Amino acid sequence: MARNDLIIRVAGEGGEGIVSSGDFIAAACARVGLEVYTFKTFPAEIKGGYCLYQIRTSSEQVYNQGDTFDVFCAFNGEAFELNKHLMTPGTAVVYDYPGGDFEPDLPEGVIGYPIPMSQTAKDLKSYRSKNMVALGALSVLFNIEEETLIRVLTDKFARKGDKILNLNLEAFAKGKELGAAHEKTDPYRVADPQGAKDVIIIDGNSAVGLGAIIGGLDFFSAYPITPATEVAKYVAKHLPKRGGTLIQAEDEIASIAQVLGASYAGKKAMTATSGPGLALMSEMLGMFTMSETPGLVVDVQRGGPSTGLPTKHEQSDLFLAIMGAHGDSPRIVLSVEDVKDCVDMTVEGLNIAEEYQCPVIILSDGSLAFSTQTFPTPDPSSFEIVNRKRWDGEGEYKRYEMTDDLISPMADPGTKGGLHVSTGLEHGETGAPKYTPENHELQAKKRFDKIKPIVDRYRPVEIQGEGDADVGIITWGSTIGVVREAVQRLRAEGLKVKGFYPKLMWPMPVEQYEAFAATCGKILVPEVNYQGQLSHFIRSETNIKSSIPYTICGGLPFTPAMIVERTKEILS
Amino acid sequence: MSVAALNKVEMTPKDYKSEVPPVWCPGCGHFGILNGLYRALSELGVDPDNLVITSGIGCSSRTPYFVDSYKMHTLHGRAGAVATGTQLANPDLAVMTVGGDGDGFSIGGGHMPHMARKNINMTYILFDNGIYGLTKGQYSPTSRPELKAYTTPYGGPEEPMNPLLYMLTYKATYVAQAFAGKPRICAELIKQGIAHKGFSFINIYSQCPTFNLIDTIQYYRDLVYEVPEDHDPSNRGAAIELARRKETGPTAGKVPMGLIYQKEAPTLCDKMQEFVDNVGGTPDYDLNKIIDLSRP
Repeated sequence: MARNDLIIRVAGEGGEGIVSSGDFIAAACARVGLEVYTFKTFPAEIKGGYCLYQIRTSSEQVYNQGDTFDVFCAFNGEAFELNKHLMTPGTAVVYDYPGGDFEPDLPEGVIGYPIPMSQTAKDLKSYRSKNMVALGALSVLFNIEEETLIRVLTDKFARKGDKILNLNLEAFAKGKELGAAHEKTDPYRVADPQGAKDVIIIDGNSAVGLGAIIGGLDFFSAYPITPATEVAKYVAKHLPKRGGTLIQAEDEIASIAQVLGASYAGKKAMTATSGPGLALMSEMLGMFTMSETPGLVVDVQRGGPSTGLPTKHEQSDLFLAIMGAHGDSPRIVLSVEDVKDCVDMTVEGLNIAEEYQCPVIILSDGSLAFSTQTFPTPDPSSFEIVNRKRWDGEGEYKRYEMTDDLISPMADPGTKGGLHVSTGLEHGETGAPKYTPENHELQAKKRFDKIKPIVDRYRPVEIQGEGDADVGIITWGSTIGVVREAVQRLRAEGLKVKGFYPKLMWPMPVEQYEAFAATCGKILVPEVNYQGQLSHFIRSETNIKSSIPYTICGGLPFTPAMIVERTKEILS
Repeated sequence: MSVAALNKVEMTPKDYKSEVPPVWCPGCGHFGILNGLYRALSELGVDPDNLVITSGIGCSSRTPYFVDSYKMHTLHGRAGAVATGTQLANPDLAVMTVGGDGDGFSIGGGHMPHMARKNINMTYILFDNGIYGLTKGQYSPTSRPELKAYTTPYGGPEEPMNPLLYMLTYKATYVAQAFAGKPRICAELIKQGIAHKGFSFINIYSQCPTFNLIDTIQYYRDLVYEVPEDHDPSNRGAAIELARRKETGPTAGKVPMGLIYQKEAPTLCDKMQEFVDNVGGTPDYDLNKIIDLSRP
């Protein structure tokens, strides 16, 4: 039986065109209406090092990178060795031989397709076209629609001139020929074309940038940090088209300070960073809270602490995002499940910051940062855009006026009669410093209470599965996509399992967690960090005291199979 | 500073005073600088509605409270970076940062070079009293080693920095120095700084009679000398030479007071606007055109 869902992993030395060949396969699949979810890992070094690109494609929706690969393409011996333990009888392996740097010792039952990639490229006097040889072979062996793939290549290389285009097409054709010479004995093939769909394919970081631009961003202050930098790259390119500005600051402290200043000037402003940058920003986030200034920070989490694993996946900044501040410093923390969410939640983040006049942090992560995914083309006019409550010019202006909804109207500089001080000192309604015990209690309460209605905006929290369950799985961020598939599989087996997928991490919708748990026998909380950070908040904030943490922190995301296995252990 | 905010109103220096009285000690040099600031704003007709003053933490960082304008009292060392964001987000505003030597050159020292070299269109007035006053007297980056203070009971272990040289090195496009005991000169140099398009930096010596007992008003009077009439402020080399402390000669151990350097150069804001213009940027730009670029 032809499988509908196929996972191809391409790996080798950074700089060998691994990423571009992966991008080409992904684009070709997306063009013929297939769903695509890619996963990449890079070394932290700029040149060389092991690099991996995995494409999962299906005619049906794909929620994660999958369990393992069906097809493996090894550009070198190191890539082969690193992935050998994942090969099972039936796995198809395309590898650079003869003429490559290794002669593989294929595990029993693994189906090998040797393709002299390096040698062919060398014969063509273009070593850089090695990946095109591989692509040609993969195309013919695994049903990647050739015509579309060639169109993708043509679109890509046309800009570089005919000579380069033709060379690459020649290498591709050669690879195809070499692939076709093999007798195919594995069952793997990319699903048949579904007819073009109205989709885009984009990576998580660019999607944050796109969301920012749709959300009406005016100003972005950046500081380079892996794995968040591509957010700034996207915004730098496209924000000027909307008349906005991106600048690169001297450090993360300056970038968040500039966001504060721009927001005070009445503009929508944000930055994107990773854990180390967010840590540096924590003092200024308190200033946003105290001065009641809208501001958005996207934290693309990586492995920590300290420099940690800069290019790897982890979900370990939940504590920092929620609690990383001095004093009582409320903020709103959101998380994203997939690339589509990166667009939607960034619009949301800008809206919410404006509505509640507070700092908003969105937690993305290293695997989403570089994952390209297909999803329906967003319609910019379908997004609600929220602007801050502004002073109507009536009467005497008080920046921190106590209003019914606790949101005090803002007056942008330039507004007649709106002169005021916005301040990090504790203050009364006018902004003048006020240190009385009663006032500090009153203002602290205002800052906490004003954001409470956000919980209603995210009601109900999405639950997968109905009725009572023996195991309820609570998770967050990109692990949601993994759990979705695991729950699907478990329920297909007739097991009573449900999933609970909060996007609003803070303030925590406590009663919704509790209501969910009341319908479940046991609660499992998978997340990619050592301490079980969400588990910690579940224990401290809700009446769910016996949830079972399931934590990993190896720099890689969970797979659905891991969740299935752990759930079954709990069930037995 | 933005010309859009200049010559907008007719107000006396007093009209710029807010209802909040300064909280400084009697005899503090900052009063003189504040008066100079009021006068400069008045003479330029700066519209308070379009003036934003940011500050960090320190005695001088309370200054915005005493001026009728929009203002933001931010974090220690970060006021200039905040002002950078405000200025870039709305170039029509007149943007100014005020603060002390510790705020600007110690905790905020990492930001000063970048405001200068990026030529942010704003004015930075640095109240230099060679001491941390608000925390009751610790040595600062501009303190003399002779200063015995809170954390230097045996005298200072460090050499002070030279604010003028620092800012000139990073290519600030307006650099001046004054002394709080000469409010008219303060006013004039602040005024020129505000009127300057680009990053203007004015270092103003200001006595702290409470915690810095060696840098008295008389000490500063003897320290400063007026910039010679034949100094060419458009010559950066000459400016650097002027800013350099001399060990011998008639100005040995003294510091110049007046306009040290001034040059017209494109501001960061101008350059960012060029990027916008080059891509035909407009708030009405069709977002679908951007989205379509991500089609497979």
